[in-house]
Amino acid sequence: MSDATTPILQIDGVEKHFGGLAALGGVNAQVDSGKLTAIIGPNGAGKTTLFNVVTGILPPSTGSIRFMGKDITKSSVHEISRLGLARTLQIKSVFHGMTVRENLWIAAQSREGVFKPFKSAKSCRAANDRADGLLEELELTHLANQEAANLSYGDVALLEIGIALATEPKLLLLDEPICGMGPAETERTVAKIKELAQRIDIVIIEHDIEVVFDISDDIIVMALGTVLARGTPEEISRNAEVRSAYLGDDDA
Amino acid sequence: MTAQQINKWGLVLFALFTLAAPLILPLFIDAFWVDIYSEMLIWSLLAASVNLLFGYVGLLSFGQALFFGMGMYGVAIGVAKLGLGFWPALGLGIVLSTAMSAFAGALAVRLTWHYFAIITVVFSLIFYFTALSWKPLTGGDDGLSFSMPPMLTWGEDGELSLTDPTVQYYFIITMVGLCYVLMGVILKSPLGWAFRTVRENAMRASLIGLNVYLIRLTAFIVAGFIAGMAGALFAFFGRYASASYMFYHVSGEAVVWAIIGGAGTLLGPVVGTSLLIMLREELSTLWEHYLLLVGVIVILVVVFAPKGIGGLWHGLVNKVAKPAPDAVDAKDGEDRS
Repeated sequence: MSDATTPILQIDGVEKHFGGLAALGGVNAQVDSGKLTAIIGPNGAGKTTLFNVVTGILPPSTGSIRFMGKDITKSSVHEISRLGLARTLQIKSVFHGMTVRENLWIAAQSREGVFKPFKSAKSCRAANDRADGLLEELELTHLANQEAANLSYGDVALLEIGIALATEPKLLLLDEPICGMGPAETERTVAKIKELAQRIDIVIIEHDIEVVFDISDDIIVMALGTVLARGTPEEISRNAEVRSAYLGDDDA
Repeated sequence: MTAQQINKWGLVLFALFTLAAPLILPLFIDAFWVDIYSEMLIWSLLAASVNLLFGYVGLLSFGQALFFGMGMYGVAIGVAKLGLGFWPALGLGIVLSTAMSAFAGALAVRLTWHYFAIITVVFSLIFYFTALSWKPLTGGDDGLSFSMPPMLTWGEDGELSLTDPTVQYYFIITMVGLCYVLMGVILKSPLGWAFRTVRENAMRASLIGLNVYLIRLTAFIVAGFIAGMAGALFAFFGRYASASYMFYHVSGEAVVWAIIGGAGTLLGPVVGTSLLIMLREELSTLWEHYLLLVGVIVILVVVFAPKGIGGLWHGLVNKVAKPAPDAVDAKDGEDRS
């Protein structure tokens, strides 16, 4: 509280009820700038629901969310994206009928404005450059003219991260980015995430504990719709409550 | 030739044929085919308005005849009741249909899929019955006919008017052509690509910061404008407006034309509309149940060529064409899906 720097994301008393069910039962959490934060917790802990509330997909029942000091509790999905908060979805979400380059291009163009009915897409220099830059950065150039529907699972995941990056986010939320990947794809994606964390703030939901402890600076443990603990990987691994609730001290 | 070149030459041939049709058609077949051809082009705009929504934004409207009707009545009421000249009446038709699409769209595009389809039908039915019962203004069942005001007058008795069949034909193809150019330009713009993202994945579109509601509404208004232009041209073409053209049966026919022609291709609707109107002209006199055949064609297309004739054409062209040397940058106006 006394810290002079504002956390990039501040979540206060957020609750989300579906009928009588409390998916989030009063979440207080903050994400600090300059760190890679991981959210872990068993299935049904409310991790994805929290992402949905933060990105405006679901309105919270109560509570408030501040992004870079700005209240975004009632903002809509596209407004939040425009403030610089990007996200990937657990079920990979890209524009399947469009090529890889078109996917990246329109995400980049969304920052330049799309209500330009008389401007040729080919003449939009800024978005063209950013799309080509991302193709190179993500090593997707050889797939530039492939329809996204024809990509391998790992390439779709990479493309989705690319789409998020094309919007030039300040904070990137990744929802189980390596779930369902083989070892080689996992290694490539984890390396990419580490590299990105050097320049953007990242929050990652991940089940692979090994990966989480390897890459994160800060871990938030959720269970039953609340935050159980928050701390560095060392602190979390020593936390008795976390061990019994989640890491499975006495069971497999 | 590359696929792009083949498409370009196809387009040039089509444009040349259209320009020369009043000279060519009477030589080989009857002169009345010139009229039928201009009628096809007018109706193709209604199919194009369905296609813009369904093929590019993913919204299936069964109510585009409403905007066709507004364009049609705008012209007829403008001339017959308000005593407007040619251009102001055309303007009235287009303004009415565009305004109506803004109003209906503001409500309708909050919904998607069957809810959207249903609300578009409901809207068009409401105004269909309004037009039918508001006799003093619309002529009700009998419709409203008018005599053609001149487009341009000069000197003592110089005038340019659609009563001259040549003037009428070239006026119609100019306006229809301008509409396709407008759609082509929009579809190649950032807005056109935003349309496609909404069709592909509306959630992802909003997650990259696109206002999906506003994009859908914009597409709905452009489609309303196109349908309104079709209605206004049709009123001039027949010197007549009637509520029967606002019935949802007409909207449904436009959906069939668009799907058979190929939703998501710019010129597919022209092909679908022409083919089915030709079929109607040729068969309806011979066999009163010709619609059965139309039904069979629709089923065959949907099952075996879900991308319509436009999709078949692109598949064929890509097969015979040499790959483009600049394949990396190749991005033509037609959509692949």
